[in-house]
Amino acid sequence: MSASASFPSQSPLPEPEAEAPAALDVAGAATSSPDVVLDVRGLKTYFYTYDGVVRALDGVNLKIRRGETLGLVGETGCGKSVTAFSITRLIPDPPGRIMEGRVLLRGSDLLWGLDKEARFKEVGKTGRYKIRRSYRRIQEAQRRMMAVRGSLISTIFQEPMLALNPVFRVWDQIGESLTLHRLPPTIDAMLAASTAAPELPEAVDRLVDAALHKDLPRIRAVSKEIGQLTGLPSLATEMFYAVRNPNLVGTEAIGREVQRCLRRVPLSGLQRSYLQRRRRIAELDQTLRRIYMTEMKEGKPDRRGRGFARARRRAVELGSLGYRLPGIRRHVKRPLDSELFWQAVGLLESVSIASPAQVASSYPHELSGGMLQRVMIAMALASDPEILIADEPTTALDVTIQAQILELMRALKSRVGTAILLITHDLGVIAEVADRVSVMYAGRMIETAPVRELFANPLHPYTQGLLASIPRVDDPNKKLESIPGSVPNLISPPPGCRFHPRCPHAMPICKEQVPPTTVEAPSHTVACFLYHGVEDRN
Amino acid sequence: MATNGGDEPPILLAVRNLRKYFPVRGGLLSTHIGDVHAVDGISFDVRAGRTVGLVGESGCGKTTTGRVVLRLIEPSSGHVFYRPSAEQFDRLNQLYADLDVAARSGGNGASAPAGVLRELDQIATKSSIFRKRRSQMRTLRGKMQIVFQDPFSSLSPRLTIREIVREPLEIHKAGTRAERNQRVQDLMTSVGLNPEHLWRFPHEFSGGQRQRIGIARALALRPDFVVLDEPTSALDVSVQAQILNILKRLQQEENLAYLFISHHLSVVRAMAHDVVVMYLGQVVERAPTEELFTRPLHPYTQALLASIPIPDPTVKRERIVLSGEVPSPVAPPSGCRFHTRCPAVMPVCRRVEPRLQPSPQHPGHFVSCHLYHTPDEPADAPLGSGALAVPPAAS
Repeated sequence: MSASASFPSQSPLPEPEAEAPAALDVAGAATSSPDVVLDVRGLKTYFYTYDGVVRALDGVNLKIRRGETLGLVGETGCGKSVTAFSITRLIPDPPGRIMEGRVLLRGSDLLWGLDKEARFKEVGKTGRYKIRRSYRRIQEAQRRMMAVRGSLISTIFQEPMLALNPVFRVWDQIGESLTLHRLPPTIDAMLAASTAAPELPEAVDRLVDAALHKDLPRIRAVSKEIGQLTGLPSLATEMFYAVRNPNLVGTEAIGREVQRCLRRVPLSGLQRSYLQRRRRIAELDQTLRRIYMTEMKEGKPDRRGRGFARARRRAVELGSLGYRLPGIRRHVKRPLDSELFWQAVGLLESVSIASPAQVASSYPHELSGGMLQRVMIAMALASDPEILIADEPTTALDVTIQAQILELMRALKSRVGTAILLITHDLGVIAEVADRVSVMYAGRMIETAPVRELFANPLHPYTQGLLASIPRVDDPNKKLESIPGSVPNLISPPPGCRFHPRCPHAMPICKEQVPPTTVEAPSHTVACFLYHGVEDRN
Repeated sequence: MATNGGDEPPILLAVRNLRKYFPVRGGLLSTHIGDVHAVDGISFDVRAGRTVGLVGESGCGKTTTGRVVLRLIEPSSGHVFYRPSAEQFDRLNQLYADLDVAARSGGNGASAPAGVLRELDQIATKSSIFRKRRSQMRTLRGKMQIVFQDPFSSLSPRLTIREIVREPLEIHKAGTRAERNQRVQDLMTSVGLNPEHLWRFPHEFSGGQRQRIGIARALALRPDFVVLDEPTSALDVSVQAQILNILKRLQQEENLAYLFISHHLSVVRAMAHDVVVMYLGQVVERAPTEELFTRPLHPYTQALLASIPIPDPTVKRERIVLSGEVPSPVAPPSGCRFHTRCPAVMPVCRRVEPRLQPSPQHPGHFVSCHLYHTPDEPADAPLGSGALAVPPAAS
């Protein structure tokens, strides 16, 4: 394949006239309303390949408000997943590069410093570009993103089997997420927990009694009470599953189980000092993240703060060397591990897994796809993120399992209140879960509307075609309309509106100009020349 | 069972008691330790020019059924009768009914009347595809074709499109060279591809275009039966609609019969005349499409229908979310295989396996569920165990 002949002579750099980026005003962060959790503006992501520059994203705008679920629909290759990966800066670089745009997460620009990371130089007039990257700056940006990924933005991927590590047990992987994002409070609880509460023996008696009668609600209530008395919530989960075992008969056996659970609360001196050091390291780590977040918010580097924190972290790491002796390490790690295990069990319980303790100690290959997707959701929610990006979460699952996962997501939505960016190609899933929908086509956002409005009154010809092409299980007589042609090649996309070669209403202007995004109805925006609404200035 | 009426098109395929077990080997000497009951005694008919939809979750044996029906995999037992005559077909139904009665009264197949078995054997020798010799099978393959699920792995990357589509014609030595080339040209236009694409290689095409090539290849020999194994599940909706429309048009033009395998019920509703719902290797319900979708009887079918997301946020409907997952086909549950997840499970479901029987209201609607039929106790069941006291609950 000779690629050089057909190179378009377009610049790979975003043309300056294309949609003046609203992001350039300094007060940009302040103008967006406080409810907006994530605000993506003018995002452009290109891939530099041997065949040419793939303009995968070409000015994507989206906004997600608190507690809202935004559905992102489009066909394969339209840039849905690239959007998700660009938001978390997980685009493989090279070949990909985020060219420009702003990703404002509660006012912090995750793409801050982008323009200094790479320089582009055209090689002759070939259309090929030489990119000189500053790896120091890219590394710095990646370090900053560590403060965001997993803790502020969590992602659920399409293939749960590929997203989990096959050689670690499930609890270990959920525990890792907890260690990274929730360690200081966990250790605080462990250090403060005690079995000295005067009401404790009486509560233990009641628990044994409830277990004797196999009274599940009462076991649950009393073990929760013990968890509060000792100050260690995960103990409640542990006790519940310990005494619930149907093979456990007789007061003595149950009593022994309860005492075994309680025995993990008091810590030895060595264990305490280990935990305290772990906590200090974790705390420094979080200080560092806070500094990074402030940097991204204010848009200027904080040299003093970072150097300070780095030095502190290094000192503590060196100080903990003494615990790396194998025997001591095992001894001191044990209480933390069992705490993480039972927290993981609690999380798995919250995603309605029937036997969480068993699932927590399995390896990923022992679980089915639906179960793994629940594990992924539990892991994503472990850090209580601002935004959950769900990238085709149910595509690999069967319909009955998909229904279970959608049911779970709906329940979590109302309980946790996390904003969700739901990426899917299935309009049925969108209709069931999303509050607002954005339709993407060939790297551009073409229509955004509340879900009911979009299905009742689709404006863009592509959205109309998409809705007409789905077979409906509740409407057999519907004639399936198909959109002629296929998705354009993004190396040399059609000029003007990228949909015009397939559009039944194409006009001469569509071939020449990029249609502006206009507001047609309250919160219904569309990018099409058929409509003459007020131009959306974000 | 409905006989071959005058207005109905003739029977093209009659699948009877088809079974396919895959052995599971393990242990010290990798001995035979069990079987995957992939397909466990299924029966259905395909009429000329009609579409039978085969629906179920992954792992229920849909794809295995499609392959066994084409004899791409040898079955463990059972028959697929190809173009049985009307008399043969009626006789077959009679014989299988006799066998069924004998099996239920006698407990095992050994006591089945020898005469019935002998006659069945005679019909099978005449028209079962599993009794065909290699050479006979080869001619038959021209009449029975398949379109595979994955358009990316089912086309050879080293052949041009022309070679791919022409290959079946060459194997079967159909026509002269010029005629073959003409046929390839015609096929390309009929699946909506440009004849100039003939000289390209598969990697230059998108998924939808490749699936069109797969369809052209399957239709090259003018078959009368095509297995469509999830032909659109790898495609986008807008392209899916294109492919479905092509398939429908070709069916009318060439009087093709399809076995449309899919997990996507809405696609099946748009395509099929009859629907067979499978669960863990068995047929749980079989009915004409409209009947099945308007009055699903089996709890599994009801749950399956309720769990499809409807692309319309204004539609509010009852939600049945099944708990748990599909059990392992190595050790399927006793009694009704669906009882572990069934919302309407009764004690009898755990012990007695339901049979596929016509529903009392609609004779063409077959369902295998104790909710609709009084369970027949196996003869060796201990009497007085209380099983007979369970009334068949009306839904």
